[in-house]
Amino acid sequence: MKHLNEEELIEHYYGKGKENGVTGRHIEDCAECAEAYEALRSDLDEFSATQPPPRDAAYGERVWQSLAPSLPVYEAQRRSWFPAALWKGLGYAAACALLLVGGFFAGRQWEHRQTLAVNKPPQAQPRPVHPPQRVVVVVLGDHLERSERLLVELKHADAGSEEMLSPLRDEARTLLAANRICRKNASKIDDPALAPALDHLDQVLAELANHNGPWSAAELERLQHEMNADGLLFEVRVLRTRIPDHRAAIDARQNGGTI
Amino acid sequence: MFRMGKNDHATIRAVLSGDKEAYGALVVRHSHSLFRVAFRITGNEADAEDVVQEAFLRGYQKLESFESRSNFGTWIYRIAVHCALDRISARKADDSSRVAEATDPEQNEIQVADLAAGPDRLLLSGEIGALQQAAMRGLTPTERTAFLLRHMEDCSSEEIAAALGIAPNAAKQAVFRAVHKLRLRLAPLKVRI
Repeated sequence: MKHLNEEELIEHYYGKGKENGVTGRHIEDCAECAEAYEALRSDLDEFSATQPPPRDAAYGERVWQSLAPSLPVYEAQRRSWFPAALWKGLGYAAACALLLVGGFFAGRQWEHRQTLAVNKPPQAQPRPVHPPQRVVVVVLGDHLERSERLLVELKHADAGSEEMLSPLRDEARTLLAANRICRKNASKIDDPALAPALDHLDQVLAELANHNGPWSAAELERLQHEMNADGLLFEVRVLRTRIPDHRAAIDARQNGGTI
Repeated sequence: MFRMGKNDHATIRAVLSGDKEAYGALVVRHSHSLFRVAFRITGNEADAEDVVQEAFLRGYQKLESFESRSNFGTWIYRIAVHCALDRISARKADDSSRVAEATDPEQNEIQVADLAAGPDRLLLSGEIGALQQAAMRGLTPTERTAFLLRHMEDCSSEEIAAALGIAPNAAKQAVFRAVHKLRLRLAPLKVRI
């Protein structure tokens, strides 16, 4: 039989062991444990005899009378403490809000910079340039060459020579249509003088193509001078001289080189 | 263990609202229980009265932190236990100069400083309480308080744990150790009777 140890006997003495009755039954059945429990009970019962000195009924009142003068009134404390606590809380709240706002803007700045860094093209990478189309350059060259011939013939035309002016009118009509196509594609040629020259040429060709009837000397002279046909002829010649450069540039780009 | 006055919470609200005199009702209601436990821990009437006053003073100062779902009696009782433990800790040096607690390993007897008479005479003259007090002083503060709360105040292990701020199992073990030590130290006296 397993005997009860001192802890079990102590628990039984203080009532815990009596709840389930197992310890009590064991003590009843086991003489050795009963003797041990009796010794424990005897020892502990002696301590129960010690009692604190009694206090009379007025003891509590006396304690309060001696204590009361040293106690502050709570309302006064609350008046002085509450604002401090309120300001302290508000301070914490303001600090938290400041941190939150600061963090928000810092995050936005950081994100903005990251976005710029991602979208910014590398400095070393050259800006892509759309090269002028070879077909446009060739057609333009032919157009300028035919326009130059027309302007030369116009410069030397006589007012009474209808045989000479009539083919010029037909050529002007043909060139007028071609000139409008060239004007549309002039932006593809990187030459600032080209568009104004083609505009000027368009006016002359239109005047020439739309004239009905025989040319009088005055009309021809007005066209040659007022339309500044000589100046236009010079511009066309200059542009023609640049066409080989454009062709060379196109050839270089198509061969993988740079200008 | 504690009688929770039905009006304790209402009284506390009144105190916190500025009615200082209302605290007097709490003091009157719980003074006796506090004096009892304070005396048992300190073993001294004057110290016990000081502990009661200090406990109520601390309680008043911390009243705002008192949670309404708690029992004021348990709360102020716990404060009193701590005050009493603080008091005996401060008194420890003085006690050691008056009472020698060393135990003779050969005879396993308690050596009390003012034991002019022998143990038999002490027992016969009804001074066994002094021997018990001497044996109690051989316990650690936790053991002594746990034993007093268990044995004298009929507190449960949970209540002792709450008062001492320890785990319930630790409170139970403290009681076991206290009983074991007390019996061990008082056993030679009983043999001589």
